Amino acid sequence: MDYLYGLAQTIGVHTIIGLSAYVVLQTGQVTMAQAAFYAVGAYVSAMLTTLWGLNILIAIPVAALVAMVLAGLAGFPALRFKGLMLVVATMALGEAVREFFFNFDYQIAKGDLKVGPAGAEGFRQIRYFYERGWTTAEVAAFIWMFVIGIMALLWWMDRSRIGAVLRAVGEDELAAQSVGINLTAVKVSAFAIGGAIAGVGGALYAHYTTHVEHTAFGVLMATFAIAYPILGGLSSVFGTLIAVVFIQGLLIQWLPILIGGELRNLLFGLLILLAMNLRPRGLIDPRVARTLRGLFVRSPNA
Amino acid sequence: MVLVQAIIDGILVGTTYALIGIGFTLIFGVMHKLNLAFAAASIAGAFASLVAWQHFKDLPVPLVFLISAAAAGVLGYLIYLTCFRFIPLKSPLATLMATVGMLIFLEEIVTHVSDGKAQNYPGMLPDARWTLGPLDIRVDYILVFAISVAAMLLLLALLYRTRLGIATRAVAQQPVAAQLCGISLDRTNAATFVMSGVLGGLAGAMIGSSAELLSNLLPLQLTVKGLIVTVIGGLGSIPGAIVAGLLVGAVEKGVETWSVLARDLCVMLLIFVFLVAKPAGIFGKLNVRD
Amino acid sequence: MKKSALFLGACALALAGFAAAPASSQQRVIKIAGFGAKTGPVRSFGVNSEAAMRAAAAEINAKGGIKLADGKMAKVEVTFDDDRCQAEDGINLVRRYASSDVLVAVGPTCSNVAEPLFGILQKKVSDEKDSGLRFPIFTDVAVKAGLAQISEWAFRNTPNEPLLYDALFKYLQAKRPELKTIMGGKEGDFAHSKAGWDAVMKVAAPKYGMNIVGEVEWKLTDTTFTTQVREMKAKNPDVIAIAAHPFTLCGVVKEMARQGVKPKLIIGLTSSSSMETMEGCARQVEGAIIPTTFAPVNPEAKRVAGLIAKQKGSADLHSTAAWENVIILKSVIEAAKIDGKPETLAADRRKVRDALAALKETQGLLGVTKRTEDREAIKPFVFVTAKGGNWVVSYDPTKPN
Repeated sequence: MDYLYGLAQTIGVHTIIGLSAYVVLQTGQVTMAQAAFYAVGAYVSAMLTTLWGLNILIAIPVAALVAMVLAGLAGFPALRFKGLMLVVATMALGEAVREFFFNFDYQIAKGDLKVGPAGAEGFRQIRYFYERGWTTAEVAAFIWMFVIGIMALLWWMDRSRIGAVLRAVGEDELAAQSVGINLTAVKVSAFAIGGAIAGVGGALYAHYTTHVEHTAFGVLMATFAIAYPILGGLSSVFGTLIAVVFIQGLLIQWLPILIGGELRNLLFGLLILLAMNLRPRGLIDPRVARTLRGLFVRSPNA
Repeated sequence: MVLVQAIIDGILVGTTYALIGIGFTLIFGVMHKLNLAFAAASIAGAFASLVAWQHFKDLPVPLVFLISAAAAGVLGYLIYLTCFRFIPLKSPLATLMATVGMLIFLEEIVTHVSDGKAQNYPGMLPDARWTLGPLDIRVDYILVFAISVAAMLLLLALLYRTRLGIATRAVAQQPVAAQLCGISLDRTNAATFVMSGVLGGLAGAMIGSSAELLSNLLPLQLTVKGLIVTVIGGLGSIPGAIVAGLLVGAVEKGVETWSVLARDLCVMLLIFVFLVAKPAGIFGKLNVRD
Repeated sequence: MKKSALFLGACALALAGFAAAPASSQQRVIKIAGFGAKTGPVRSFGVNSEAAMRAAAAEINAKGGIKLADGKMAKVEVTFDDDRCQAEDGINLVRRYASSDVLVAVGPTCSNVAEPLFGILQKKVSDEKDSGLRFPIFTDVAVKAGLAQISEWAFRNTPNEPLLYDALFKYLQAKRPELKTIMGGKEGDFAHSKAGWDAVMKVAAPKYGMNIVGEVEWKLTDTTFTTQVREMKAKNPDVIAIAAHPFTLCGVVKEMARQGVKPKLIIGLTSSSSMETMEGCARQVEGAIIPTTFAPVNPEAKRVAGLIAKQKGSADLHSTAAWENVIILKSVIEAAKIDGKPETLAADRRKVRDALAALKETQGLLGVTKRTEDREAIKPFVFVTAKGGNWVVSYDPTKPN
């Protein structure tokens, strides 16, 4: 059972990073900077709990706030770019942040050993959960509290005017602008919300793995962040969750048990290819999303 | 003098970046889509030639290069079929993701072929050196430079002097009008992927050959570098990609004499400078909408 | 809709698959789980470790297996999983082992997996409040210095690089006194390589009278080294130490050959004493010296190398540690007198941990390995030199000549 709770932790954290990209993708911006905000959330929260002994319920909001401010600031210059330009610009930003943490060295003595980020060596002993005796199930529940909170928030956003505005910008900027939508405000807010969510994800990641280092926040992580919502579909927050279960649960955990680990990455690539050919608008495309919504909410004209 | 030397090295090495950049830009120019599997296909082509070289002992180096180019050309067509042909044009994110899937797939094939180990790859004239006063130049870099320039000229001739080239440029500018004139979009797009694949295969072989090594670490690395070159050069601009490739090479080697760790950060900064000062790239025309 | 329903069904099935508890059989079995990278750039580590572990298990089983507390014999069953060199994969694997009937795990191959993994283990066995996993791990490959101190459940049988290089420079001072100057090169963005120069060789060299005249660095994925090698040429040191993995090591020595940089000696990083280096650049690396904790120098080492080769792996300092670990675990399990029943699993794991912690020394392929207080190993070593496409032992401290 413990193993399933552990897997639930991984799936929860990855769902959060996927959802952070989901918000930004709604406005039609392909961002490769989510790994950077994820890193910021991880380092900031870990320093707060491990170096200064703060409660995690304080550390996570602070980390989210820092990531949000950074993402908002990044959103302004990013407004200038579209398409490939934005991909490369945000990738450059992500790599710059990673390089920063690669060189970031700040340790304080705590008891007989020094703790804190140690450059290329990484930041170890982020043992908040374990030191306080949280069981695997409790940690999983804690993580899922955030997952559900964020999903509920985004679900509500999707159905509200805000979601409509984000989508309008994503579908056709010119048209959106001509009906009086403030592009700058919308895009920067999308970036900021995405950054905050990524910050929460990073904070949870740092605490459940107990160790962070710059290599975890590279181009690969950034790619995964956008892969989840694209694979799952941009019509519903559940798409991202399903894509994470598909990749982390099915492909990474279950497939090797079934066929042996060696062929996993080969199949991984092929399955992404296949999924995009069969379901170009994601596993949960607009049609499925409508049906799904119908299950939960009685539509007005039904 | 150290700096001059480094910049010369950088410009010569930069030609391979230029070739990779051209591959990205060519596809972008024609289809307005990003093929993230391109650099991986280039290295996979080089690995195919490596297998041939290991199998038939003492294959001449030019033949090894040609095998790489041919294999990457075939891969280019396969990428077109699997990632672009059947995915609706209206889903740009789907094609993007599909090419990421292809990138992972090719990378893993390369890993399995090499067992994750660095592999010896034939170098060009490993013992020849050319000294010019205080400067010291690697002869094979000159060859790389010459071959790259020849390949680019050939490509330009192809684009501007043949029917296929005219069709390609027509599709790039006005796909609908081109179709109305009887140009097959499918055939033209496929041809573009094969062309860019061949160039990439050549670049992959030369990158391997100038290091005398091939490794499965290369695909991701080259993808990032190729994208940088494409953006600095301006999307869809072939001369831009060439100049940007040389520029990135020169900046990298120049900064390296000062600090290796600052090198990649400086290249990122270079992007920001270009994005802010000249968002359309060196020669690119500014598209209001893409 | 149908497709997605099918898909959801598949997901549910998959989850159910995880939950199914393995059935217990009549034949008593001790399960040792190996894990490491079998995909991605460092795939060869996992492939070799798996081969070594399977070879060791086959040998133990051929001799009857492992003796349990009640005097019955149990077979060893070795499994091997791929962690892709990813921290989260490693953590999930070990959680899976901990909630199944695996007694002890051997792995991982990557330090960036080992470090978070040891972090989720209980830090101190005496600390009942600590909810970290209580599961023994005996590492064969991940080499970054000082990892086992993270948890009392973590043990390693990996080379202690500071001691190896200390011995190497001492040897050089005695045998090659003409070597006066040294220059270092390292992969600046890779923790193990960086520490290999900064914390190991750079510290050891001056202690034995070698003068450091400079250092250069490059990145793990670089392919051109003109700038760095020019700097080497300008400084013209007697010795060039290259703290890098085979890919860039080969790139650098090839560039050195092109530029005509011929130091009197090249020193490499422990992990480079593998066949990968020879496949990549045998000609250019000729004469380089590397300290290592494995070489087929005695009949037993040769025999084991043969057994590992039969399992389609190659015997090097890392994979032979995996072999040693399984053999050590056999004697540890016997000494711990475990019951090997499903209901005693947690107690058995604790017994194995305590027995591992109590070890003062173990028998390795090159001789006696000392165990330290912080659960690390001090392994016997030899120096190997590249000669004609092979690594040849150039000095064996047990056979002074």
